[in-house]
Amino acid sequence: MEKEIITGSRTGDSCIHVRHSSGLEIFICEMKGFSSIEALFGTKYGSVNTMFRTSEDKEYTTVPEGIAHFLEHKLFENEDCGVFELYARTGASGNAFTSFDKTCYLFSCSKNYEDNLRILLDFVQKPYFTKENVDKEMGIIGQEIKMTGDNPEWRVFFNMLSGMFREHPVKTDIAGTVESIARIDAELLYKCYNTFYNLNNMVLSIAGNISADKVLEICDECLRPCGDNGLETVFPDEPAEIVRGEIREKLPVGASIFDLGYKCAPRSGREMLRAAAAASVISSLLSDPAQPMCERLLKEGIVNSTFGGEVFYGSGYFTLNFSGESDRPEAVREAIFAEIDRLVAEGIDEKDFQRIKKSSYGMLIRELNNVEAVANLMLNSYMEDVGPYDAIDMLSELTADDVAELMRSELRRDRCVLSVIEKEE
Amino acid sequence: MIYNRSELGDGIGFTSVIDDKFKTRSLAVYLLTELDAETAAVNDIAAEILTVSNSRFTTYAAMCEKLSELYGAGLGSSARKKGDAQILGLKASWLDNRYAIDGEDINGEMLSIIRDCLFSPNAKDGAFDEASFAIIQKDLLDRIDSEFNQKNVYASIQAARLAYRGEPAACASYGTKEGALAATPADAYRAYRELLRTAQIEIYYVSPEKDDTFSEMFRQCFGGIEREPRKVNIRSRSPLKAVPETITEEFDVNQSKAVMAFKTDSDDRYALKMLSIIYGETPFSKLFLNVREKMSLCYHCTSRSVSVKGSFFVDIGVDRSNIERAREEILKQLDGIRAGGVTDEEIENSLMALDNAVLQVGDTPSSYISWFFDCFCDGEIMTPEVHFRRFCDVTKERIVAAAASLRPDSTYIMLNREVQG
Repeated sequence: MEKEIITGSRTGDSCIHVRHSSGLEIFICEMKGFSSIEALFGTKYGSVNTMFRTSEDKEYTTVPEGIAHFLEHKLFENEDCGVFELYARTGASGNAFTSFDKTCYLFSCSKNYEDNLRILLDFVQKPYFTKENVDKEMGIIGQEIKMTGDNPEWRVFFNMLSGMFREHPVKTDIAGTVESIARIDAELLYKCYNTFYNLNNMVLSIAGNISADKVLEICDECLRPCGDNGLETVFPDEPAEIVRGEIREKLPVGASIFDLGYKCAPRSGREMLRAAAAASVISSLLSDPAQPMCERLLKEGIVNSTFGGEVFYGSGYFTLNFSGESDRPEAVREAIFAEIDRLVAEGIDEKDFQRIKKSSYGMLIRELNNVEAVANLMLNSYMEDVGPYDAIDMLSELTADDVAELMRSELRRDRCVLSVIEKEE
Repeated sequence: MIYNRSELGDGIGFTSVIDDKFKTRSLAVYLLTELDAETAAVNDIAAEILTVSNSRFTTYAAMCEKLSELYGAGLGSSARKKGDAQILGLKASWLDNRYAIDGEDINGEMLSIIRDCLFSPNAKDGAFDEASFAIIQKDLLDRIDSEFNQKNVYASIQAARLAYRGEPAACASYGTKEGALAATPADAYRAYRELLRTAQIEIYYVSPEKDDTFSEMFRQCFGGIEREPRKVNIRSRSPLKAVPETITEEFDVNQSKAVMAFKTDSDDRYALKMLSIIYGETPFSKLFLNVREKMSLCYHCTSRSVSVKGSFFVDIGVDRSNIERAREEILKQLDGIRAGGVTDEEIENSLMALDNAVLQVGDTPSSYISWFFDCFCDGEIMTPEVHFRRFCDVTKERIVAAAASLRPDSTYIMLNREVQG
């Protein structure tokens, strides 16, 4: 088991990477002067992983939507007691989340991190699902689904994804539906657990006031080696075309909101990171109040300070989205279309490009100032098959031509979806 | 960490925190004034407009361009309320010069920008710049409209309006729609001049090394301003309603919500906080373990103590058909504590959680600022360790007494509209 020191060339920050004999990838960042500790134990298993098989299976298994999130809830209950009871005794704040392509269990604390790490590694490796405890969870998750269903930002985003993706499960709510989770039982949960919670598919990321040697000692003590199960996840064939260019829904809201997204070709690894960096610059160019387009939209009252852009990507999907509050989202769409045409025809101003690069660099450096952000940075780098500090290097290598090329080839009007949540009259 | 607080003028405090682990510098300027529905919106606009432009960067576009050249330096404003006070803030954070690739003086540039925003704003003939004003006024009006977008936020705002009816705290920190609509660039400028004259001002600067340039700049600039600071009443106990009131609204939503407000005449804020942790703030609390885990009635059911107002809230998202069951269980759990149902283990666990939380103060620049500003508002500057020791002194009897002091005051309920068959 070798310790690899990974150092960021720009800032000199470093972390330790270990491929543990159990199969688990471990990232550790000792942060001098900080009091807190943030640890994440994650698996490459999210809401989009609904079809899979291992080397032991002949056929692919398809599972109900929302099962990864359901599993996350249930793993917090072991045979003897709830995990929160264990954390209560150490004072840690424990939590978990499921996203499109990962599930993570985490704690943050400033004392007793050794005990907390043992709790974390132990409960995630010790599932306990019964008919009774699965049935009990239906009501709680049912309420969570209803709560997010009342969140217009959530609705406008998923409406946009449903207009973009015909087949890919990214279009479905992470928690599934009340109907889909009703099909989940203990047996199915064990099937998913045994498939995705294999340490060869998982990562531990821990940062803050820690000793790397102590962390590794606890890992040696708690991790149970498992063989690689030859996991294969597959996604239905997704056409490049969108389903619908515009989706509107009326809801009880005080302010109308929109999400406008471009469907781009999916990527992986460093290619994905490079495209994400370029798309992020485009997002800044188009939503930056320093730019004439955004300045005009603000002056004319078409958008307000909520207007912004983000790059959304993962296994089999890559999109660039703009969102905000507006009573005239069509005018925002027209402005974005026209600005992209102009930038493709005239090229990107080098001064603007360098300024936005500087701003992005500043944001990346700031992340390194924060224990929680560093732990997430290391975790996400594993999930995306890149190095923890690659984003800074990638950004410095990025050219205005790279950005213009992505804009020209990917931001097509016929691949754009406008989703609007309108006020009820 | 090196902490220092000095008085720069009448009612103007400057707190400096030096911590060499940070790669950034952060500054916050808080203006404290009486929360008043008549002036809250125009005060909010006045504070917000300061960060959109100044006499050197006269448009929002120019300001944004400059900030992004400075490695994406952050400059923003905030309005919040604490008790009966409106707290308007200007906040900034930026990379330390060590990380400037081209050797720029980011610190010096930010000092100039902040100085001009506060002391040489974009105004002439007694009024703020109209274009900057229009952006901020629209932003505020939209923010007020969008209160209803987040149903839990809306339910909390409505619950506060009901619980504090007739008191300054009934008003949102950013005022009313009427106030925002009525405001003009001249009103906003007048409001700002009045804030500079009368507000209590607290400034916080967190840097990785000793740096007196900001305190010197503020001392010099405030030296030219005639000050008549007014004492702000943050701590003000909200009276209990003679008869508990309930307000119900019905909307086309999926989930119903209820926010129950209690009032207390107890001044024991440490016991009230411990009560809240044990009752409903944590995943090991009685509400979490019973209303959520045992009865499966909800995803969230939490409590919070607002000691400056002598109030205490419980909120829950639940199916319409289960509201009464949930309410009964929430009250049953409170009655259990009133009857002495608090274990040594629950007290120990709460202290562990608090100990972990207070030790994290200082891990981000903003946590230092929040810590020292909250201490200022509470009238006593202390270390997180001393604060924690106060909790260690809380006995089971004090927690039971805090629970016994809670009286039902009001309830806000948002119902999902029932489909007519």
